[in-house]
Amino acid sequence: MRRAAAILLMALLTLTACTSNGAAPRDPGKVVLPVKQVSIPGRLYATKGRTLYRFSGTHLTRLLVGTRLKDPAVTRDGARLAFAQLQDQSSTIVLADAGGQNLQSITAASGPDGALWAFAPRYSDDGQQIVYLTDRGKQRSSPQNLQPNDLGVWRYEVSRGLSRQIVAPIPYTGGESDPGLRPGVSEQLLYTTYLYGGSPPQAVARLTWMSTRTGAIVYLSPDGARNFQPAFSPDGRFVAFVHAGSGSDDLYVMPLGATFTREPRPYPTDGAVLLESGMVSQPVWAPDGSAIAFLKLVNGSFDLFIQQVAISGAVQATGQAQAVTHGSFLDADSRLAWSP
Amino acid sequence: MNHSGATGVPQRTGLRRAHWLVFGGVLLVLALVGGALLYLSPVLALLDNHSPAAGKPGSATVATPPPLDSKQRINILLLGSDNDQKFKQDAVLSQTMIVVSIDPSRHQVTLLSLPRDLWVEIPGYQSAKIDLAYAKGGAPLARATVEKAFKVPIHYYAWIGLNGLVRVVDRVGGVDVDVLHPVLDDNYPNDFSASGYGTERVYLSAGPQHLDGRHTLQYVRSRHGDLLSDLGRSIRQQQVLLAIQQRTVGMDLVTALPTFARDLNGHLKTDLDLVRLTQLALFMRGLHAGDVHQAFLTPYVRDAVSPDGQQILLADWPAIRTYLHQLFGGDLLP
Repeated sequence: MRRAAAILLMALLTLTACTSNGAAPRDPGKVVLPVKQVSIPGRLYATKGRTLYRFSGTHLTRLLVGTRLKDPAVTRDGARLAFAQLQDQSSTIVLADAGGQNLQSITAASGPDGALWAFAPRYSDDGQQIVYLTDRGKQRSSPQNLQPNDLGVWRYEVSRGLSRQIVAPIPYTGGESDPGLRPGVSEQLLYTTYLYGGSPPQAVARLTWMSTRTGAIVYLSPDGARNFQPAFSPDGRFVAFVHAGSGSDDLYVMPLGATFTREPRPYPTDGAVLLESGMVSQPVWAPDGSAIAFLKLVNGSFDLFIQQVAISGAVQATGQAQAVTHGSFLDADSRLAWSP
Repeated sequence: MNHSGATGVPQRTGLRRAHWLVFGGVLLVLALVGGALLYLSPVLALLDNHSPAAGKPGSATVATPPPLDSKQRINILLLGSDNDQKFKQDAVLSQTMIVVSIDPSRHQVTLLSLPRDLWVEIPGYQSAKIDLAYAKGGAPLARATVEKAFKVPIHYYAWIGLNGLVRVVDRVGGVDVDVLHPVLDDNYPNDFSASGYGTERVYLSAGPQHLDGRHTLQYVRSRHGDLLSDLGRSIRQQQVLLAIQQRTVGMDLVTALPTFARDLNGHLKTDLDLVRLTQLALFMRGLHAGDVHQAFLTPYVRDAVSPDGQQILLADWPAIRTYLHQLFGGDLLP
């Protein structure tokens, strides 16, 4: 009986094969550039398989070979890099020059509270401050005595070589993500706060605007929605971010008032402009504000795209986004960075 | 003059040729069947491997379930255990219980997560958490418990262990998931260590990303950093199920199925037979995101403490039955 079923199955499968789309997409293990290459102005950084790649013009360069890292960042002049270097059970923030030399660790892999994580560094406009995420300051945890180890936002002052916490995490939420200082006004911080809201409760992600001078915070997006990965335009007037809708993660851009105010209503995200639909992540602006790079899931692979934009009061897409890579399985959980 | 030779030789030659043709045809068919059986032997081995306890004693379901290609609703109880590395199989709790309900007439699938801490009556036992049913009586008792409590007829079951999930995800080339919250866990159980015990640190950033099998397991399993606790895990489990389904959309089943079966041997148990398994794979492949409805019982349960001091969930059964009627219409047991 089972043998008869096998024969019937074989016939079914043969028929199926005729309508099959082929094998599931597989990671080719390298960055693949499309036949029609896109020329990148300046230097655009991304990671694949925890290795750092730099796209410049039509050149692709692998940097810091042998170092496992994520979340590259770059100073506005492009002279200095920062990234999260990954070890087995911890990570540290490391600084380097543009060529990936002269490494300097600015956080420790462990402390009195155990092994530590550190991720998502971002330079201030003048390169003198770095904001990043870490679980430093947590309480020691064990299976018998579970303690939260959510990520808070810390600020490192380059000239003094000192770090201090500027946003304490909300316990058992995963903590904050995606910190970035506003260009030209480094007393303003933008990041994502992860919460639970609604009834029945569900995952919520809110864009959060903070005055680092007073410690006051306001939300820029409503409760009950998921908006995350904010990225300031180079002039600080606009914010690109990802909005999770029903089954998609779309790229939007919204304006942001010049001065820190009370919680704005309607929320700026309500009037945001849709730039790209799909499963999008990690937007970053070109140094001159003329384009936004992002990662997008296409045919089972996260690839690098560039969308040209025009700014005339609001931000508008000009033409279609262009693919910089093809079937490359870039790390969609790792931030992008772009310098002149 | 004998003309028989002139006419007789070609007749004999034609007969011999016909015999050879028939013989060759039979050989070809035998070779094809043999090749098919050889090629599908991992699938057959996997299906032969299902527990003999997977029959239906105690089940209220009709003896012959409707075929998957009919217009009738089919319900499959999906069971998952995350401690099968440490304990004897069939003696493990089912941390995951999802009813996958297929409505072929509407081309829709409903995923209904059952909370593992739900306090129910287990046939033949006292009231207990629903996850104990599989540990006490394997798939038959889990099936009977679900049918008795929810009046949802269970036609088939599938159980998968830790390694099974990792292998499925890796076999489809990983899954693409929008991680809902950052996942941080300093005490994640490291079942794949040499001892099977111990902990490791886990971090997954939030947002869209590609996950391999090991990281997918961490995503669905970690609960130390999720205030939604079991609901959070149920949401993540359904999210990953959908991501696996999406990943298989473009797959070539001819090459995939035997390899899948080889990977899963010993890590998957099911009473779906070969033909139904294939029909199911074909049906799932044709689904779009809008065809899948996700359902949770969270609004209809509340925290409580059992008489023996366990943290449990108590159900508002009238509300649950109303909800199930909305989901399944008249396809419930009396």
